[in-house]
Amino acid sequence: MKTCPENIIHFMDDYLDGDLNPSDEAVLKAHLESCIECRRLYHEQTKTIALVQSASHIQAPSDFVAKTMQRLPKERQRIGVPR
Amino acid sequence: MDALVNKRIKKVLKGDQNAFAELVELYQHQLYQICYRMLGNKHEAEDIAQEAFTRAYVNLHTFDQKRKFSTWLYRIATNLCIDRIRKKKPDYYLDAEVRGTEGLNMYSSIANDDQLPEEELMRMEVQERVQYEISRLPDKYRAAIVLKYIEELPLSEISEILDLPLGTVKTRIHRGREALRKQLSNL
Repeated sequence: MKTCPENIIHFMDDYLDGDLNPSDEAVLKAHLESCIECRRLYHEQTKTIALVQSASHIQAPSDFVAKTMQRLPKERQRIGVPR
Repeated sequence: MDALVNKRIKKVLKGDQNAFAELVELYQHQLYQICYRMLGNKHEAEDIAQEAFTRAYVNLHTFDQKRKFSTWLYRIATNLCIDRIRKKKPDYYLDAEVRGTEGLNMYSSIANDDQLPEEELMRMEVQERVQYEISRLPDKYRAAIVLKYIEELPLSEISEILDLPLGTVKTRIHRGREALRKQLSNL
């Protein structure tokens, strides 16, 4: 079994973070072209990210602001009254 | 945006509580979302998000207006979420590495114990399953993953929110992502 250069995984991580410099990116891409294992890993990683991002954006309940305001301590209101 | 926010903050500091309602209005959904993804429970998410706003209100005088308000607010919220998770399940010591077993920690050896049966996982909707798997991540990876992929914040901001060096943030994102990849591999 051939072993892939260790830095490829780091390059892949940085690339997925949007944080890889162009020359290392070229090294990564060349490796992915030639290595089916790393290519599979890369696809699984991007699929994972897509799945996490597909978790729909949820909204706070409609009475959230009112309930939050009710919960605030009242003191400051009094302290803040202009003298 | 920052100028607008700071204007509201100044009003609140002068005693205008209504100006704080406008800040809550502005950040409620993002804050609630962070709490929900961290805690995996709507009731708790609401409670913690409200608590975060309350703390922000009480401590507003300590906020440095040269910085970003959202970063400060998210930091309060993620800390509260992490506290809540740790109180619920005393596994915070579990991610310490087991000596002599590189990369292996107590979490990885017990993680399977609280996993739902395969058939039940298969019945879940994709989004429900993703949320379930996020909530199985150790809290320190969870916060980084939520801020990076759900809130889509830049790494530098995540580092400020979590009060961690950039390198540590990256490591947590990478490990969290790797754990999720394995957990979601049968999807």
